[in-house]
Amino acid sequence: MKSTVHARKALILAAFALVMAACGGDGAETTTTRAATTTAAQSADTAPAAEEAAPEGGAETTVAASEPEPAPPPAEPVTVRAAITGDEGTLNPYTYISGFPGWNLLMLQYDSLLQLDAAGRPQPWLAESVTVNDELTEYSVKLVEDVRWHDGQFLTADDVAFTVDYFINNTQSRFARDLRGVAEVVITDPFNLTFVLEAPNPGFDLVALADVPIIPRHIWEPVTNPEEHQFESAANIGSGPYKLVDYDEGQSYRFEANWDYFRGTPAVDELVVVVFADDAGALSAIRSGGVDVIFERISPEQITLLDAQDPLDISQGPEFSTQMINFDASRRPFDDVVVRQAIDLAMDREDIVDTVYLGAATPGSPGWVHPGHPSYNPEVLAVYDPNLANSLLDQAGYTDADGDGIREFDGQPMSFEIIANSSDSLRLRIAELTVEMLAEIGIEGRVAAVETATWENAVWPGFDVNNGRNYEIAMWGWSAPVQANTLRVPSLIHSSPGIGSLNLTGFANAQVDSLSEELLVEPDPARRLELLSQLQELIAADLPFVLLAYPDGAYVYDSSVYADWEFIAGQGIVSKLSLLPSSARP
Amino acid sequence: MTSKAAAGRAGRRRRRGRTSDVLGICGVVTVGLLLIMAVFAPWLAPYDPSERVGRPFQPPGREHLLGTNDVGQDLLSEMIYGSRVSLVVGIAAAAAALLIGTAVGVLAGYYPRRLGAFLMRGVDVVLILPFLPLLIVLAAYLGRSLLNTTLVIGALIWAGPARIIRSQVLSLRSREYVLAARSMGAPDRWTIFRHVVPRTALLATGSFVRAVAGAILLEASLSFLGLGDPIQKSWGSVLFWAQARGAFLTPAWKWWVLPPGLLIMAASLGFALIAFSLEERINPRL
Repeated sequence: MKSTVHARKALILAAFALVMAACGGDGAETTTTRAATTTAAQSADTAPAAEEAAPEGGAETTVAASEPEPAPPPAEPVTVRAAITGDEGTLNPYTYISGFPGWNLLMLQYDSLLQLDAAGRPQPWLAESVTVNDELTEYSVKLVEDVRWHDGQFLTADDVAFTVDYFINNTQSRFARDLRGVAEVVITDPFNLTFVLEAPNPGFDLVALADVPIIPRHIWEPVTNPEEHQFESAANIGSGPYKLVDYDEGQSYRFEANWDYFRGTPAVDELVVVVFADDAGALSAIRSGGVDVIFERISPEQITLLDAQDPLDISQGPEFSTQMINFDASRRPFDDVVVRQAIDLAMDREDIVDTVYLGAATPGSPGWVHPGHPSYNPEVLAVYDPNLANSLLDQAGYTDADGDGIREFDGQPMSFEIIANSSDSLRLRIAELTVEMLAEIGIEGRVAAVETATWENAVWPGFDVNNGRNYEIAMWGWSAPVQANTLRVPSLIHSSPGIGSLNLTGFANAQVDSLSEELLVEPDPARRLELLSQLQELIAADLPFVLLAYPDGAYVYDSSVYADWEFIAGQGIVSKLSLLPSSARP
Repeated sequence: MTSKAAAGRAGRRRRRGRTSDVLGICGVVTVGLLLIMAVFAPWLAPYDPSERVGRPFQPPGREHLLGTNDVGQDLLSEMIYGSRVSLVVGIAAAAAALLIGTAVGVLAGYYPRRLGAFLMRGVDVVLILPFLPLLIVLAAYLGRSLLNTTLVIGALIWAGPARIIRSQVLSLRSREYVLAARSMGAPDRWTIFRHVVPRTALLATGSFVRAVAGAILLEASLSFLGLGDPIQKSWGSVLFWAQARGAFLTPAWKWWVLPPGLLIMAASLGFALIAFSLEERINPRL
């Protein structure tokens, strides 16, 4: 399958080499290729050290040529029809519905100060540059000049400051959470402003500047109750590459390109988004040519089938979500690092990826960070060696005294309940495979498939680690944002609930604690990277959890209509980058 | 009960009896085959259904007659072993339903005034409750295990048998021999167990067989919806995985969806046919 994918794509469009690299079947290989390519492309504009913190994008060509120059539509307008499952409201910052793809569609009409590039790193966008002070408390933003709203007015620092105030005061959006910790915004001149934070925050660029859409003051100032306000038309005034021109509730959206877009003329002239009731409908639509792309992830078993059909192609890449084993490291026998290591060694990650995901996943790195992530430490490798696991357990005295095939600890059999939520069928299958693999090292697992609420309540009671935990082994997984932002690593492993708010396994390690604390206040991006590398090694050695796999995101599109989809690591293909010409992409 | 009737009616009944006999034999054969499959599963199944024996998503071939499922387990073996869970749950749930139904029916029929009225209102409540939603809520609330699935189904299908048995008991309690026993001072318990319960046994058998047919269908629906134990191999859970891994949308439906569907249909139909033919024989007629 893999080779045919590549062969066909090479035939179709050799020019889209970067997309192709992302579309292969092999997760690990793909992701490293992708990271290498994008870094190479980047180094011309961006200082390599500025990977994590404020990206100091020098004068980019697109910035210099930002004079609004209305380009005439090409002779044959490109219309892309996309399928989504479920309505997304009128798609303004207070009415869009889901985090994905609702937020992604919202951001086609609006811009943020920074924009993620293909590797998932924030790059200059509305901001021409962002500089941070050494204490990590002041982010100074220089805006690109001459950016216009869809109605022709200029976008200025005043709009940015208004946006921050507005989102903080009207808390019903996720952007209020993003901007928590902003003490004030100081406007220096119409195109320069500074965010003053209450506490040092090295991740502010990723979490806030690359997430919050800037909204026009002249439109939103009169809106006192954004949740209930009736806007005059469906057209939202933003600054983004697309304008919503038509919305038929529960049926479809029609976006038209913004020809004056400051980063370059969009490559797709018209985007029609059709609302389907479920993915079965969307899948049959793309097979019959009713739509050209599906703005939802497709499941692993569909990848081969759809890819085999011409002219459909698959865009695949890392999504940064995780599948992992959690164990209560504060109780016997999991408090013994030997037991945790044995479990780690017994896990055949390749088998899980091949069997459950049919190859559409990346084998888990024991150090938590995805191999496709910029801060991955390549020296941390997963080892599959059940024999070593067995001898480790034997040496540590966990032997099978009564000859029933199950080892004992403290006189009890090593037989544990593996709790998993039944709503995630792939996770249940991983649990079944885990049971098989644990049996190889004399540990018995029994899968308990329970409701999601029951499962959450056992692993993370009340969503507060102060409440302890009530499980032996659990199949668990974090959503993409936890991993995409590596500054959240301390929250997973720090022993104090204040910092380790996601430390669900009761893990405690003094060295990990001190490195985590250092990471959170370190101003130098290079030093932060070094700390993250050390933390990955420590995590891989002391194992607060066992990472099994990172499922890939896969999207299907019709390459005869539009093939230039850009896969942003951790976000997928639904973004303005996909619809802009490659010269306008960071 | 039905033997001495007018000649014409008897002839008509004989003809009808013959059809119902044929159908009954069909039912017995079907159920018999399925029972043999369940009992001799380890000998009939080519593989251990819980072992991964091939590539995932394999279409039917020489090695795997019905292909493999999403983790490479042999589908044919899954279905052969699945008959065990499906039939056991079906029969056990029907037995539980019959136990509750007979108890309620006999008590309500024997004491028709206060207790009977009270119990029958309870039966009415169970009968008018929206069935599947309640089943789903109960199954979700109690958690997933074979025992829970069985109990939940049993707890919801007893009302029908209870009504049938109560009406029989109502007529039994006014028969002369029952009245005679009572007038001679026989305690109620003795009368019930000596004279009433044995006379309802035939009727109960009919209800039981029909309940099995229903219970098998319900088990399949629950498992298909993911409310059973998805780790247990049953026909319903084979369908659950087929749905979870997209087999309904791909050519795989022919070997992954159709066979368990047909087996569920066969089992349910087999029991229903037996019940039909039994009822022809045992139901009281006027």
